[in-house]
Amino acid sequence: MKSVLIANRGEVAVRIIRTCKKLGLNTVAIYSEADKDSYFTKIADHAVCIGPAKAEKSYLNIEGIITIAKVYSVCAIHPGIGFLSESSKFQRACEEADIKFIGPDAKAMEMLGDKAKARQIMVDNDIPVPPGSDGEISDLKQAKKLADEIGYPVIIKASHGGGGGGIRIVFEKEKFDSEFMLVKQEAQASFGSDSVYLESYLINTRHIEVQILADGFGNVLHLGTRECSMQRKNQKLVEEAPAPFLSDSLRKDMEDCAVRIAKIVGYKNAGTVEFLLTEDGKFYFMEMNTRIQVEHPVTEAVFGIDLIKCQIQIALDHEFALTQEEIIARGHAIECRINAENPDEDFKPSPGRIKDLQFPSGFGVRVDSGYIRGDKISPFYDSMILKVICFGQNRQEAILSSYNALDELLISGVDINSDFAKAILKHEDFNKGNIHNKWIENKLCVELFG
Amino acid sequence: MELFKENVEKPDGKPEGIIQPEFLKCQECGRETLKELVHGNDSVCVYCGFLFRMPAYKRIETIADEGTFAEIDKTKKSNDPLSFPEYKDKLKKARKNSGLNEAIVCGTCKIGGHKTGLAVMDSYFMMGSMGQIVGEKICNLVDVCLKKKLPLIIFCASGGARMQEGMISLFQMTRTTIAINKMNDAGLLYVSVLTNPTTGGVTASFAMQGDIILAEPKALIGFAGPRVIQQNVNETLPEEFQKTEYLLKKGMIDGVVERKDMKDKLGKILSLHE
Repeated sequence: MKSVLIANRGEVAVRIIRTCKKLGLNTVAIYSEADKDSYFTKIADHAVCIGPAKAEKSYLNIEGIITIAKVYSVCAIHPGIGFLSESSKFQRACEEADIKFIGPDAKAMEMLGDKAKARQIMVDNDIPVPPGSDGEISDLKQAKKLADEIGYPVIIKASHGGGGGGIRIVFEKEKFDSEFMLVKQEAQASFGSDSVYLESYLINTRHIEVQILADGFGNVLHLGTRECSMQRKNQKLVEEAPAPFLSDSLRKDMEDCAVRIAKIVGYKNAGTVEFLLTEDGKFYFMEMNTRIQVEHPVTEAVFGIDLIKCQIQIALDHEFALTQEEIIARGHAIECRINAENPDEDFKPSPGRIKDLQFPSGFGVRVDSGYIRGDKISPFYDSMILKVICFGQNRQEAILSSYNALDELLISGVDINSDFAKAILKHEDFNKGNIHNKWIENKLCVELFG
Repeated sequence: MELFKENVEKPDGKPEGIIQPEFLKCQECGRETLKELVHGNDSVCVYCGFLFRMPAYKRIETIADEGTFAEIDKTKKSNDPLSFPEYKDKLKKARKNSGLNEAIVCGTCKIGGHKTGLAVMDSYFMMGSMGQIVGEKICNLVDVCLKKKLPLIIFCASGGARMQEGMISLFQMTRTTIAINKMNDAGLLYVSVLTNPTTGGVTASFAMQGDIILAEPKALIGFAGPRVIQQNVNETLPEEFQKTEYLLKKGMIDGVVERKDMKDKLGKILSLHE
């Protein structure tokens, strides 16, 4: 492998370019007009403008990306996060163009990308899932009948959804019809398919996920758990590894379950299995993401493993040398996502130019940023500016280190949510583990904003 | 301890194949785009929709039903009939740049399932100028259409007659005009599609003989250049002078068709005249 095209932007593009450079690989970045002069275009060996800001004409433009890849004779494409990272169509287009796709194959993506089908696979293999529909449910009457059987609240989800979109929770029977139709419409508009499925909405659950690596030789390793319950409107804000406040047996059960899932679907490359953990200690499969996750650095911190490098090596058909028992986690890591938004104004996005930017630093402090001083944050894409990842010998140390790092972080020119992240870190509930995936919305936001 | 059995080998030297990528500048919005991206987008500016000049084979790809185009006279090339200075070098360069032997590609194909003769001029070959071989290929294609009773569609894109072939070039105006007249006498449909630019001797001959004359938006269509005309008539010319939309207003053409709609439009026309 001599050269890699990064089919993404911002922070993750910087992340991937850095690892590629470390490995001596030539890098080609594609960017939209809105990302002209962005940091990631400057550090790549070649940067090519693919088109206007709109994602369909740029970062979702499969034909355009493959065209550029061919002109620049790239050997492989890394799809990053979001955009085409879970597109089997894109994976196939790379294959047809004889370009390695750094990620799983199209078959696994399709199996797991259709969340309704994925749920069915789990049911067929006795993997615990929340009570709900057998796969896709399209008939309103049937869906409503099932909702009655399960009991409210229920959650209606787009089968091809992702990134927190295409989800509606229905608390009252009277609202079911309209919400069902709305999710279908939103799913069609956002994901190109109005297929939906139904599940019981489990209240006060923790979102625990397991990082998986599969080398394609039948070897599947897990790299432990991550706690991702600190979410607002299904968007993660603070993540940590390993997931705290789990018994050893429960942790092992979830990790083993994730490995089993990866083996069932014949998975290759990096992926994440997401579970919901109820207050009474039961866990349920939620979905599997067939790509690298935004929060992957916390896993990297506790295992000392470069996950992007792993992805590249698996794409090169390298085999694992280590067994599960030989991979040891140590310490604790926390990641805070810093977005250009104003929590005081209902988290209103704050695009604009970054005037001042000063990163925190020190032992065990890592900053992954897509921007440098003077860069413009455009309104066309997600508002995440950077991630602050802090490692500590234990959770308390990691929390303190994160808090101090956010104190040192200086960004002006745009509003950011660092104070909000600090409020999470210093809250007693967070420290004691009295958290769930609606805690931010139902408790913290109420305490802070009324 | 390494997680993998193998290491990533650092590549020797630079990756092959990255020669100088070529960028095309849009005349309308001024943005530069990788050439392959432009032509991958049907030679349309990815930003503002401006229609770049389209290579002939690319045009055929977008118009003809897949796998139906059968080319004729592919290997015909000019032999520099007047031994014009530097003409041979110019021809060599044009062939290298365009991948064609001449400024027109002729053949038969189906469009929307309807069989037709199709000729596509290519302005990447010496600005689509018409010399002996361009004229000859058109006449030969007309002969095929007459024999097989096929309609004919010609995509015109030209800077005019080819200077390096002098009178022989001008004579092609007559030859092609007569050829089209034969199509008319035989009651066979001829559709002329004017693209940017269509000028000079091509405009003054077969380009404007279509039973139906269509044009792409904002194409420059004329005989003499605007400066020459302005100097002659001593008047300020309208802003959209010699542009498609102006010609439509003045009744010189029958319709303006967007590039993305061209195949469908031609298919419908052929079906109506079958």
